[in-house]
Amino acid sequence: MQPTAVPSNDGSDIALLPGQVSGVFTTARPTFGAAVDDFLNRRPVYEQPLEFPHNIHVGKEIACEVCHEGVDKGPKAGIPGLRTCMICHEAIATDRPRIQQITAMRDKGLDLAWQRVYGFSNDDHVRFNHAPHIRNKVECATCHGNVGEQTIAQRNVEHTMGFCVNCHNERKASIDCLTCHF
Amino acid sequence: MARWGMAADLDRCNGCGACVVACHSENNISTVGDEQASRGRAKHWIRVERYWEGDFPDVRLKFRPVMCQQCDNAPCEPVCPTYASHHTEDGLNAQVYNRCIGTRYCANACPYNARFFDFFNPSWDKPLQLQLNPDVSLREVGVMEKCTFCVQRIRGAQLQARTEDRALRDGEIQPACVQGCAAKALVFGDLEDPESHVSRLARSPRGSKLLEDVGTQPAVTYLARATQV
Ligand code: HEC
Ligand code: HEC
Ligand code: HEC
Ligand code: HEC
Ligand code: HEC
Repeated sequence: MQPTAVPSNDGSDIALLPGQVSGVFTTARPTFGAAVDDFLNRRPVYEQPLEFPHNIHVGKEIACEVCHEGVDKGPKAGIPGLRTCMICHEAIATDRPRIQQITAMRDKGLDLAWQRVYGFSNDDHVRFNHAPHIRNKVECATCHGNVGEQTIAQRNVEHTMGFCVNCHNERKASIDCLTCHF
Repeated sequence: MARWGMAADLDRCNGCGACVVACHSENNISTVGDEQASRGRAKHWIRVERYWEGDFPDVRLKFRPVMCQQCDNAPCEPVCPTYASHHTEDGLNAQVYNRCIGTRYCANACPYNARFFDFFNPSWDKPLQLQLNPDVSLREVGVMEKCTFCVQRIRGAQLQARTEDRALRDGEIQPACVQGCAAKALVFGDLEDPESHVSRLARSPRGSKLLEDVGTQPAVTYLARATQV
């Protein structure tokens, strides 16, 4: 896979919705087809900029929190940028082609444009928060499956409302609509 | 369980409109342009009403910030066929956008004109979308929206307090309008706690509710203007 690059300091290019009209930011879906896909929960197949191996890293007993730093602190887990990779890869596995690729990108001041795997569409109006789940010892695997054994993260748990609310009922967490929807 | 309420001291309000701006930016409220605004399609979860009293030259100017009054007996709730508009245990008048099918009955029932229908998908000229608040979802065309007492901040503070294993402190939660008010005319808090700042203001002899006689039992108390300017 060829890495696709974005300038690391320009958030506007990353924040665009797929197919969005340039100049104006809107939540409107660009085409009728996109609306149908969204309604049927069909997701576009994303190409990651680099085949990142979760299995190798988790196999080396690197904790999820090393890369997904925000996960026990707030709503977002966060997806690591090149700066995080280079903390280790300045020294580790520097002879492998993929590592040389990312080192070269870093030297050019570029970053990796990871595509999101999990997440809600705007019309779901869901505000999720990782921190209370991690604090209450809900495993990553409950909501993200066996990512640790995958290379690129795959979406193999569907985050439907029933999925969330069933556990909230079991664990006596809040099921007030304004827990998740605002 | 808390019951959230607000007090607005009209003696302090100077009509500057900072609350309106703060609310717009906190809650990702889009603007619709002057033409659509003139057709009554503008959305302001909080507005500052302006009243002139007396005859020239003895005129007085009065201001009144008006937001959703989070009524205990809310006329918007029973008319909603989908329960999108309903009451939460902590006394908030919730609007679940997912459930809303846009009948607009609620807006018609609201005596305060505090509910706003999205006639358009929201849009922002780039790069203004970068200032959107990620804690608040964007409402699409066809749903009703209104002041939430900044529920994202209420839930955020509750969660923070639980994380630190302590009770919420009075004044810890500040909706954007309260935070933005330089004159400290707006006070937010728990009406269930008799010692909270908002409870004390709600008991003030200067206090009254908006359209009290229609029986909506609002959670917002207005403190009448005492000084003669
Ligand atoms: C905590 C240290 C650490 C961090 C951070 C880290 N890695 Fe690694 N990475 C390793 C280790 C250890 C290996 C295994 C090297 C080996 O096989 O000897 C590895 C292996 C890899 C490999 C496989 C190399 C190969 O071809 O065999 C790739 C690709 C890789 N890392 C990419 C990344 C990327 C991209 C990031 C940033 C998102 C990253 N790594 C962050 C420690 C780290
Ligand atoms: C060495 C860094 C590193 C470690 C350790 C790591 N991840 Fe990741 N993770 C990444 C990177 C880079 C991506 C983005 C690429 C992708 O989607 O595969 C990612 C993506 C993900 C995603 C998909 C995010 C999304 O919605 O786009 C999930 C879920 C995830 N990781 C969970 C985990 C879990 C659970 C663990 C621990 C078992 C873990 N990760 C450990 C670097 C890491
Ligand atoms: C209760 C279910 C749940 C648990 C437990 C959970 N996640 Fe997530 N995770 C989600 C949901 C839902 C999303 C999508 C959130 C969104 O887009 O708002 C997500 C998104 C992510 C993302 C990508 C977006 C982001 O937040 O930056 C990463 C990375 C991630 N999770 C990693 C982890 C890791 C690592 C763990 C364990 C330490 C974990 N998650 C535990 C439900 C969960
Ligand atoms: C496996 C169990 C489990 C699943 C699945 C789960 N949750 Fe939770 N959730 C919990 C627990 C336990 C808490 C902590 C409650 C507490 O702090 O008392 C919690 C808390 C929360 C909170 C914060 C609650 C608050 O009071 O502010 C939110 C928001 C939330 N969950 C959303 C979600 C969403 C959205 C999903 C589905 C994507 C989800 N949860 C799936 C167990 C779960
Ligand atoms: C624990 C979190 C949580 C709570 C509490 C919750 N929801 Fe949801 N809700 C979700 C999630 C997650 C989705 C997105 C489902 C999807 O994308 O498939 C959703 C979707 C919806 C939808 C859209 C239908 C659909 O399946 O996409 C409606 C309608 C809805 N919720 C209404 C409500 C109402 C009404 C309440 C209060 C009684 C409520 N929700 C409470 C998490 C929650």
